[in-house]
Amino acid sequence: MAEVIIFGLMALPALAGGVTVVLARNPVYGAMGLLGSMLALGVLYVAQLAHFIAAIHVVVYAGAVMTLFLFVIMLIGVDRADDQNERLPRQRQLVILGVLGIVATAFAVAFSGRFSWVIAATGERIPQATNGTTVALARVLFSDWVLAFEATALLLTIGSAGAIALASRRGKPVDLPIDPEVTS
Amino acid sequence: MTFEIDYLALAPELVVAGTIIAALLLDLFLTRSKKYWVAVLSVVGVAGGLVPIVYMLAEGGTRSMFDGSYVVDEFALILKIVFLVSGYLVLLMSVSYIEADRYYQGEYYFLLLSSILGSLVMSSSRDLIVLFIGLELTTGPLFLLAGWRKGDAKSNEASLKFFILGVLSTAILLYGMSLLFGLTGSVEFTAIAAAIPDLVSEPALALSVLFLIVGFAFKASAVPFHFWAPDTYEGAPTPVAAYLSVNSKAAGFVAMLIVMYTALPGISEVWAPALWVLAALSMTVGNLSALRQGNIVRLLAYSSIAQAGFMLVPFAAAAVAGSDLAQAFSATVVYLVIYALMNLGAFAVVIAGARRTGSGDIDDWAGLGQKDPVLGLLTALFFLSLAGIPPLAGWYAKFVMFASVIEAGGISTLVLAAIAAVNSVIAFYYYARVIKAVWLDTPSEELLARPGREYAGSIKLTLAISMGLTIAIGIYPTFATYFGEASRVIATGGG
Repeated sequence: MAEVIIFGLMALPALAGGVTVVLARNPVYGAMGLLGSMLALGVLYVAQLAHFIAAIHVVVYAGAVMTLFLFVIMLIGVDRADDQNERLPRQRQLVILGVLGIVATAFAVAFSGRFSWVIAATGERIPQATNGTTVALARVLFSDWVLAFEATALLLTIGSAGAIALASRRGKPVDLPIDPEVTS
Repeated sequence: MTFEIDYLALAPELVVAGTIIAALLLDLFLTRSKKYWVAVLSVVGVAGGLVPIVYMLAEGGTRSMFDGSYVVDEFALILKIVFLVSGYLVLLMSVSYIEADRYYQGEYYFLLLSSILGSLVMSSSRDLIVLFIGLELTTGPLFLLAGWRKGDAKSNEASLKFFILGVLSTAILLYGMSLLFGLTGSVEFTAIAAAIPDLVSEPALALSVLFLIVGFAFKASAVPFHFWAPDTYEGAPTPVAAYLSVNSKAAGFVAMLIVMYTALPGISEVWAPALWVLAALSMTVGNLSALRQGNIVRLLAYSSIAQAGFMLVPFAAAAVAGSDLAQAFSATVVYLVIYALMNLGAFAVVIAGARRTGSGDIDDWAGLGQKDPVLGLLTALFFLSLAGIPPLAGWYAKFVMFASVIEAGGISTLVLAAIAAVNSVIAFYYYARVIKAVWLDTPSEELLARPGREYAGSIKLTLAISMGLTIAIGIYPTFATYFGEASRVIATGGG
């Protein structure tokens, strides 16, 4: 039951984030939508006991890649004057509510089990994350899936080599040849 | 936990992978005018990959690795030969083209080799993950290669269209795979096949199967997932278009067949009608559109869409009729082998002809036969073979296809056979139109005045190899039958 609730709670923001990426006019909102989607997915990984994947997902994608995205967006485009109007109504009240909620949750977690009205998970109800640990993952990755793993490495190399070859210009721009062969 | 790697079984992949690394390193140390050595190395490496395959074929037997998720059986070996030989021919026809083009050369071969490696991995895969990565490794580099002539807006368009639709289809494919994994709890084909009977009434299963077909049909550019193909073929460098029309198409095809045959035979009532429709539509739409093309590369693009439909016919017919799929398998593989040779030949002719006439328009090819009789003859040879005229190899491909359909029996298969027959006639018309332009039309002054340049040795070699094999198979089809028969032995892994 708890898993279904967590799934519902996290699947909705994940989908909403995805929709934002597609619909948002402002690329920064799009990036934020992607970020929200990734964080929600991270929680879903934890629910599946894939702790390592969840951590990597948040650190690498939500952290590093998204920061890079934002940098790129800022560098190439958002050069119009900042719009200082606050378009979200009641921002401050919402922030206060949110902070209070987080603090309350933190307290509940910290003191869980000490109050009768907070239900604590007992030891055996917390499942052991045997498949999602770093060791288990590494074992599978470098034995059964070693071929797929190596092929993926090549796939990434292709991406970077191809991107460089397509994007770079050496020295002065070559007068681009009209192809002598197939003109149509 | 013990696990072993059978290095002999992996030898073809290892040789190609070694060539890839060597090509990258060699490229680093060569000056611009010496870059063709990377091509030489690539050609040698791909040929070297054939050696262990021939050895394993002679030895016989099935090798299985990684709990049965990577299987090297005769089916896989045959396909690896097809991929390596067609990759070899594409590399050969690339040499002079890429050299003349003034774009990066070393990276071109690196990407092409990686794509060949992907198709090798894909043919041995017997689980969803390896299959997916193999397929992506095959198509991924092609997104980049399609846009290789980056100064040409058409090439940019080719790459972008291919990429966007490709990513979309990949997403659909992955979605289908994840549904399948979620339902059956396994990524291995044998385990999936075992779990299917309990799930037949599950609607999500039908959905996942259809998603898989959409994903594969895109790679094979079957109608109605073909929209990217003509523009991409036209804009991409011609050798890349040749590669797209043979290797990458075959990769999508083979992936589809492997999955349907080894993982999803229990639910053929879902995918068999879908394949039937794909086959009928691909043949008809491909051929009818080809009729109206003025550009020879576009004509070949639509013709290759139609040929994909012909290729699907035996398998779709057998699945719909519920007859022996293994028989259909061998018919499809025979068709694939022959198609690969004659289509690569046709593309080599296009490269040579475009150099001679300076144009890709069929009208500008008028009288090419007078200007250059050898090239004119080759044009006639490959296009007649594509049309299926004996004694060239193409007739045997068509013969095997119709034979397997008639063997399958049943009304719906006969309807499919009738559609195929009508389409063969339509196809003959537009193939013959090219030959008519080359031989019967009067050449323009401009063409006669053009200097008769000597062709590069590599393109001559490409033409010679594909011509020799096309004629040899046409006269002595047992050779191709061997490929079909051997490919029946598809091991389902099982580990």
